[in-house]
Amino acid sequence: MRRLALALPLLAAGFLPGPGRADVVFVVNSMDPGIQVVDAATRAELRQIPVLREPHHLTLSPARDVLLVGDSGGNEILFLDPATGEVKKRERIANPYNLEFSPDGKLLVVTGLRRDQVDIYGWDAPTMGLNLLGRVKPGDMPSHIAYRPDSRFTYITLQGSRAIAAIDLETRQIAWTLQVGREPAGIIWHNGKLLIGIMGSDHVAVVDPEARRVERTIRVGRGAHALFPSPGGGPIYVTSRVDSRITALDPVSLDVMRVYDVPGGPDCLSFDEQGRIWATLRWNRQLGLLDPATGEVSTSLVGRSPHGVLFRNWNMQARNEAPAAPLAR
Amino acid sequence: MFDEIIRLYDSFTSWLFQAAVQPALYAAGMMEWADDAFSWMDFFVFGVVQVLVVYAVCRPLEAWRPVERWEDRRVVQTDVVYTLLARLGLLPLMAFVILSGVQAQIAGWIADLGWVAPNLETLIPALESQPLLAFALYILILDFGEYWRHRLQHTLPWWWALHSIHHAQEKMTFWTDDRNHVIDDMIAALWFGGLALLIGVPPGQFPLIVLILRVAESLSHANVRLSFGRVGERLLVSPRFHRLHHGVLSAGESGRNFAVLFPFWDMLFRTGDFRRDVFPRTGDPEAMPSLVHGGWWRQQVEGTQRLIATIRGSG
Repeated sequence: MRRLALALPLLAAGFLPGPGRADVVFVVNSMDPGIQVVDAATRAELRQIPVLREPHHLTLSPARDVLLVGDSGGNEILFLDPATGEVKKRERIANPYNLEFSPDGKLLVVTGLRRDQVDIYGWDAPTMGLNLLGRVKPGDMPSHIAYRPDSRFTYITLQGSRAIAAIDLETRQIAWTLQVGREPAGIIWHNGKLLIGIMGSDHVAVVDPEARRVERTIRVGRGAHALFPSPGGGPIYVTSRVDSRITALDPVSLDVMRVYDVPGGPDCLSFDEQGRIWATLRWNRQLGLLDPATGEVSTSLVGRSPHGVLFRNWNMQARNEAPAAPLAR
Repeated sequence: MFDEIIRLYDSFTSWLFQAAVQPALYAAGMMEWADDAFSWMDFFVFGVVQVLVVYAVCRPLEAWRPVERWEDRRVVQTDVVYTLLARLGLLPLMAFVILSGVQAQIAGWIADLGWVAPNLETLIPALESQPLLAFALYILILDFGEYWRHRLQHTLPWWWALHSIHHAQEKMTFWTDDRNHVIDDMIAALWFGGLALLIGVPPGQFPLIVLILRVAESLSHANVRLSFGRVGERLLVSPRFHRLHHGVLSAGESGRNFAVLFPFWDMLFRTGDFRRDVFPRTGDPEAMPSLVHGGWWRQQVEGTQRLIATIRGSG
């Protein structure tokens, strides 16, 4: 009986399994600031998690049982239960702007955009512990993160240096840097290449990390920003903040397949299991939902300057399965 | 209604950013500053809002019950120039942006040490879930800082050399609030912005706090015969309360009524004057004519010369 009494408020808030249990979307509002948990079906706010200063990005732990949110202005990382939104732990971390686990799940790389630093942490899953292994100063405004699949190298975009830096995760030293274009932002590893959104221009730069050169550019729209491979080897979606669009690239040829106009400055994306795309619209304080099949976009109001976003499917959480979709970056 | 105002404001800033600011940043090759520009665009919009709000509140009051009437309003126009230069928030913005970079380094370094930086929410964790209370506390602390800055402006000779420009105005209106030497403005911005960062004012709340204090300060300078009553006079600074501070007998080190928003500080430090139910003439009898009647540039030059002379000991 007592358990039921405890569970009722959670059931009411939609955080426990039950008939008609809703999927949720985590939205990180950088200027309100806070984390909103939104019912994916109704768009109603289920929960608001206050954050100290200025959160931007989020990532799931390798076991997908902890959601980490970086509060760059507040100098802390919040550790949330992705099923309930409950704050499990807060830890003092210097300027965590962006954060991502290595493919082998052993390391967490954190970029400090305002402190021009990249921190490499060891991850202890049982205690949710972060152990600082090394700090690298690769250049001006380190922003987004990618990895080589074997976890040997991490690649960081340097927005103020027009470059990317490859950091050797064994030696924790800069292996090489490469000029790629004005204000590089998003970066992903794709079929042995690095794809980089050149925010100060209108294209994606394709970099061969072995030859260390830009081998191709793909025009997607002004303010090319972040890239998101869709589940199951589908198209790669690229956001452009100035032209306010999302561009679908063929995953093999990297040719432009389709362009979706999405007003409001689309930034981060997350996919649901129907293949729809949840997008934060930075300048309109909106959460957008794009159906790539029809091109239809619907929006709902969230907090100011929404940035990171993560769709979580309840069934997936209940089974603790890894999502097919990549995380918002 | 409040939601509707926020919605309108968001629509406007969203349009302004996407139509003008972001394309300009893109063209200038400064897209790495887009996030910051979006935050700080609020300053400019708030500056415009400040002028409009202050004008809408104060001008009808001045027309309704003026303390003084003047035929020649040229010196008032000089104060309008001061306001337009200062109210767009450029000086506080500069101080805050510069200090933000420094603060990010310092706060990050402190975080590395594992020590919790001294802001209100970490000192009082309950405030994390009470943003309105935290907001009120920020205002209270910043107002305390403003009280002491204002006292020092009157106490330190070199600072009074600058601040006397503010007190030289014999035709005080709500525009007079911004009648300050640029060096004085810069010191004020560093003082205010530095304290805001020290106590951890969230960047998103900073412009709103500035707006509240600015509106209160403008109203307190208005040429209006308005008192808030026996109790109200002790809760908020009124035009009557602040006019006593600007009265000819109150200029310089013998000043009274230094508070900006809450007269409580004057009560606490025994500098409050609640007894005289009068609306005195304003101005500084010792001010040079150029400080009284000169234009913006003349007053700036004069203020700088007075500062140098005071520092050299010949002022």
